[in-house]
Amino acid sequence: MDNNPILRIATKILFAPIILFGLYVQFHGDFGPGGGFQAGVIVASAFILYAIVFGLEKGKELFPLSINLFLLALGGILYGGVGIASMMLGDEFLSYNVLGSSQQAGQHIGILLVEFGVGLTVSNVMIALFYAFASFESSNGEKK
Amino acid sequence: MISELIINAFLVSIMLAIAIALLKARTVIYTVLLTSAYSLVAALMFITLDAVDVAFTEASVGAGISTILFLAAMAFLPKKEEKNVTNQAFPALLCLTLGGVLIWCSFDLPEIGLATSPIHQHIVPEYILGSRDDIGIPNIVTSVLASYRGYDTFGETIVVFTAGIAVLAILKNNKTSLKKIKSQKKVAENGQ
Repeated sequence: MDNNPILRIATKILFAPIILFGLYVQFHGDFGPGGGFQAGVIVASAFILYAIVFGLEKGKELFPLSINLFLLALGGILYGGVGIASMMLGDEFLSYNVLGSSQQAGQHIGILLVEFGVGLTVSNVMIALFYAFASFESSNGEKK
Repeated sequence: MISELIINAFLVSIMLAIAIALLKARTVIYTVLLTSAYSLVAALMFITLDAVDVAFTEASVGAGISTILFLAAMAFLPKKEEKNVTNQAFPALLCLTLGGVLIWCSFDLPEIGLATSPIHQHIVPEYILGSRDDIGIPNIVTSVLASYRGYDTFGETIVVFTAGIAVLAILKNNKTSLKKIKSQKKVAENGQ
């Protein structure tokens, strides 16, 4: 698919707006519809689109598997870390009130970080699954 | 009210049509695309129910990414499905009975959006007021999801993480076992 000029140009034009929209959904989830799950899927779709159009090798050059797997684990750790941080500060697990100067500020910080953790894990699981399926060799040895 | 009825009837009839087409579908790609279309109509359905967050998730996850992942995974399946020859009368009867019972039960459900219905009496008012006063976030869905039900969302995230690494582990194992088979074949060929 990498020699079709329309697909290549359209992908290059669309890539940044998709990421931007993903970030908007991620960090605007407090005020409108959206949140970590949706944003993670949107960001993942940008990288998957790139890998489909330009080929898996180019996709892995843009977003290497090692970074992918690292961020995949980091999302869950970030979520759990927020919980443990609030425990360290003297409240219960995942109780965000102590994270900020006031109760509302603490809740804001906690929700933002937690949603970011969800987004990281979801987007990187999706990208990792696509990489795994696309580079998977079937039992008769033929490659997709 | 009447316009809502027309929209709902329209969406339900599209869903029914897709479901019937799915029964008839015999190629994998056709099935995947129909499932994706079904998810998109379901997302519209959630919008008519004012569940914008759920609609967003359904559209992005159900219609978007799962279609891509299905297509990527199904490239390894045979193109055509075998014709099902077993008698389908009993499963059809079972489905119709279950559907009938569910529809019958749905007459007892309170009206959608009714403030006096039981689920809006128990803890929901506390969430709605608390989201404004204690958390200070306009989107109540986010405050319930990330703060009041933070444990559940943590569990969901861990489930997504575990599912992801499980699939990776299975596919990676398959790769190493393939390599083993190949090297054994080579050894056998060299031995001859």
